[in-house]
Amino acid sequence: MNSRWLHIGAPLAVGILLLLLWQALVTINDVPVYIIPSPGKILATLIADRTLLAGSLLVTLEVTIAALVAAVVIGVALSVLFVQSRLIEASLFPYAVILQVTPLVAIAPLIIIWVDDSRVALVICATVASIFPIITNTTIGLRSVDPGLLDLFRMHDASRLQTLLRLRAPSAAPYFFAGLRIAAALALIGAVVAEFVAGTGGARSGLAYQILLAGLQLNIPRLFAALALITLTGIALFLLVSLVSRLALRRWHESEVGQDL
Amino acid sequence: MSEHLPQQAPVAVEVDGVEKSFPNGLRALGRVSLSIREGEFVTLVGPSGCGKSTLLRLIAGLIQPSAGKVHLSSAARASDIGFVFQSPTLMPWASVERNVRLPLDLDGVPRAQSSPTVARVLDLVGLNEFAGAYPRELSGGMQMRVSIARALVTHPKLLLMDEPFGALDEITRNRLDRDLSALCAKQNLTVLFVTHSIYEAAFLSSRVLVMSARPGVIADDVPLDQPLPRDDNFRAAELFVQTSTRLSAALAAAMDRPEQSGRAAEKASP
Repeated sequence: MNSRWLHIGAPLAVGILLLLLWQALVTINDVPVYIIPSPGKILATLIADRTLLAGSLLVTLEVTIAALVAAVVIGVALSVLFVQSRLIEASLFPYAVILQVTPLVAIAPLIIIWVDDSRVALVICATVASIFPIITNTTIGLRSVDPGLLDLFRMHDASRLQTLLRLRAPSAAPYFFAGLRIAAALALIGAVVAEFVAGTGGARSGLAYQILLAGLQLNIPRLFAALALITLTGIALFLLVSLVSRLALRRWHESEVGQDL
Repeated sequence: MSEHLPQQAPVAVEVDGVEKSFPNGLRALGRVSLSIREGEFVTLVGPSGCGKSTLLRLIAGLIQPSAGKVHLSSAARASDIGFVFQSPTLMPWASVERNVRLPLDLDGVPRAQSSPTVARVLDLVGLNEFAGAYPRELSGGMQMRVSIARALVTHPKLLLMDEPFGALDEITRNRLDRDLSALCAKQNLTVLFVTHSIYEAAFLSSRVLVMSARPGVIADDVPLDQPLPRDDNFRAAELFVQTSTRLSAALAAAMDRPEQSGRAAEKASP
């Protein structure tokens, strides 16, 4: 049994088996569609409501990607700042922690009240939700530098910028990518949670809004269809980030060496 | 060549009454004075924690002495020092070629100028076929050769080596010692080499300095009147055996002596 079959085939087989079991149980017991729809019914809803759901998926995806990009840009910039001076890190890091431990559902309403553009408000919420692992991981990575190499850079009077680009940044890369995987999932969760809080605010609304609305209308198959799309989006994001990480690290870092694409 | 040089050659490194204490009160290095002439291969041996590495870092300018002065001749200014660390300390994300090129990159030497130099030093350490390889693809001995190539790429006059082969197996270590001896003689390098191994010291050196336990001072100065470079036959020579025996005794004596004062200094620290 080769490892590719193991890592793709095995979980896929489990998934298909569970779906078949679900289908069978719902069919045999004649469960009403407003309690639990069968996978077949959900698939049919996905196809029937494709225009509506695709529009919502796009909205959620836009918010998630924008938030992830913002989290990376701001998070990395803050990490670089932290590494330049212990004073800056000591002054600002506690606030990053506060941001992390405050439940998003508690601050999302405020952000949505304060920011006029509802889309921007959602992006801010999702950024707040996902930035912390980027900051912590990148900061640790930027500090995890071989002391001998640091001595070598000092012996050659390397500038801060040279040390950052040639030594700290590559040393931090594996840590950064580990943080990015967590952040990608958190950005999606953040986007969905913020949308729930925002409720029926925006004119174009995302998947969480569809779930909310479908629940109110007792359109349970559509609720499940939207849920399935969120899950699939999460998996796709994770795979995408893993792929980028693998491409960046596969030649030298233990975590990715020897892995197929 | 360097056979008859050491006694007449100009002084490359002068360490004058240097002491080093760390802020936590630890006295790493007692009062040390030594001078190294151009073309000499001087080895420091001593018990762990006697300040051998500290002395090397002081000479490299990586740390400043608490007292005394380090003087480098114009032929061995700070920028002309090659430093080889205990471990290969290579950048795992960069190829062998880019690792070796690093010091030149940091000094702002353009690629066109640095490439032939990199190729030449890789040739010196016998690794030109591995220019494109990554450090993880090489054995420990080969990684150390890359590290030596990197130290040589700036054409240093002075090479400081901090237990470079300590983590390698004996066969690899002996082969690297032999190659290093030939390389240093050919390049007419001045070398200060730190090791635990009295056999390595006896094989490589034109002079061996024995250091006592912390706080380290130089307890013995053992010259080896045998031209450099040395080959494997030297390991069977009477001088090698005699020197090893003498170093062994000197090291045993050095380990006994000031141990108490070292402990006292440690206790005094908070």
